[in-house]
Amino acid sequence: MTERISGYQRFKMTNPIIQFFKFIYLSIKIMFIVAGGHGGTRKAV
Amino acid sequence: MSKIVILGAGISGHVAASHLRRKLSKNHKVVVVSPNSNYQWIPSNIWVGIGRMKSEKILFPLAPLYKKKGIGFKQAKAISFFPEGDKHEHKPYVLSEFVVGDKKGQQEKVTYDYLINATGPKLNFEGTEGLIPGKNKAYSVCTYTHADHAWEALNALIQDMKKGKKAKILIGTGHAKSTCQGAAFEYILNVEHELHRHNVRDMAEITWIANEYKLGDFGMDGMLLSYGSMTMKSNELVEMIFEDRGIKWITGAAVNKIEEGIAHYENLDGEYKTESYDFAMLIPSFSGHGFKAYDKNENDITEKLFKGFMIVDADYTQKPYEEWSVKDWPETYQNPNYKNIFAPGIAFAPPHSISKPRISKNGTDITPAPPRTGMPSGITAKLVAENIIDSIKNGKESLHNKGSMGNMGAACIASAGFGIMKGSGVSITTFPIVPDYEKYPKTQGRHLGKTFGDIGLAGHWLKLALHYAFIYKAKMRPFWWLIPE
Repeated sequence: MTERISGYQRFKMTNPIIQFFKFIYLSIKIMFIVAGGHGGTRKAV
Repeated sequence: MSKIVILGAGISGHVAASHLRRKLSKNHKVVVVSPNSNYQWIPSNIWVGIGRMKSEKILFPLAPLYKKKGIGFKQAKAISFFPEGDKHEHKPYVLSEFVVGDKKGQQEKVTYDYLINATGPKLNFEGTEGLIPGKNKAYSVCTYTHADHAWEALNALIQDMKKGKKAKILIGTGHAKSTCQGAAFEYILNVEHELHRHNVRDMAEITWIANEYKLGDFGMDGMLLSYGSMTMKSNELVEMIFEDRGIKWITGAAVNKIEEGIAHYENLDGEYKTESYDFAMLIPSFSGHGFKAYDKNENDITEKLFKGFMIVDADYTQKPYEEWSVKDWPETYQNPNYKNIFAPGIAFAPPHSISKPRISKNGTDITPAPPRTGMPSGITAKLVAENIIDSIKNGKESLHNKGSMGNMGAACIASAGFGIMKGSGVSITTFPIVPDYEKYPKTQGRHLGKTFGDIGLAGHWLKLALHYAFIYKAKMRPFWWLIPE
């Protein structure tokens, strides 16, 4: 097992307060990406 | 009055049925034909497979919902297609066979004006010798019953480990052409997390085995993504996670035979190797259902409808990888020969893989098949439903709604461990699913701002939130349509 994720990074990944704001941010960002529309490609410029 | 028949009640079929019913008046009939009595939210199967969620939480019976909403339901399986009818029946129909009740075994000609083939894949376990869920210590999480069995076996192994047994766990793909690496990726991280929770992590050697050339391929040729302030490749992200979790990996592996506790595989160097295990979860290849089609004179016209999966508006011309284009991918999922037949979700035949094809030194094609599960299934089903609704309302064919996987985003919210405060998730989005090298030539065909990865507890909360949101939506509760596919 090689520790590839530093202690500080791990703290940020597991801290519920930081992660709560991350949850809000990710929800909005993902919503924009996946619900932001789709279309064809054949006439796309 | 129009009659729309939907074959299948998985994510794709159910999405199509619910949108059609919502937007069409009761003068029009919407009928679902499916051999399954339950709807299941498949992405949560991985939690059933680690014993952290009961299978009852991911499914509900379809018949009461469909009765309440005015959707016809026949618990039957499709047998063959007659898109021109026959000598006795002038309307097109699908020959179906009931699978339960008084009519079990009886066949019926289910006529239609529009047909949506949302039959998804056949789980092709027989494509790999000895790969049978629950046999040879190998399991699956492709259905909730498979996932239940996987948890029973994993739990027994955990109890043995608590008594001092050392164990080897093998998780990944069970065929040279399997897809759905994402599900196996989630499962291996969840299993690793659970072993920690049971204090037996140091008793287990966990190995990933997959047909992908590099980690993080996911059947999408990998991706360049934003991670925090960095830009990294998906294989680097997954390597980082696996190394941090102490998970070994074998890539470019075509598993071709399973014996009791032994997986036989061939790698891209043409070497034949084996990997032993005490518990394995291997995703099979997906295949079409082998449907036949006939014209009105009962001549076989299967090649007009099927190429394994259903033929749609894709460019199926055989060409080398260098000449593949995002434009090869379908936009409307309409069969070119019978314009009232559509195949969204996994039921359509992809023009080719997304990942670069790779052949072993022995000539074995070891290439992940393209993923169409989850979000793409829902989006393509909705656009097919909307085109049918427009066509009915306008009285002429309407194909305004388009959704190529080359112009569509997808989110893979991969659970990496269950737990409200101790859980973890790997959130990955990609746009587009099929890389568009003309639009995004410098970022490996993807929009970097919309293709990103993130690791943390928030990912687990997201996956859990999606679980509840999509089951709410599938149950067609108030304002369900506001939740996007």
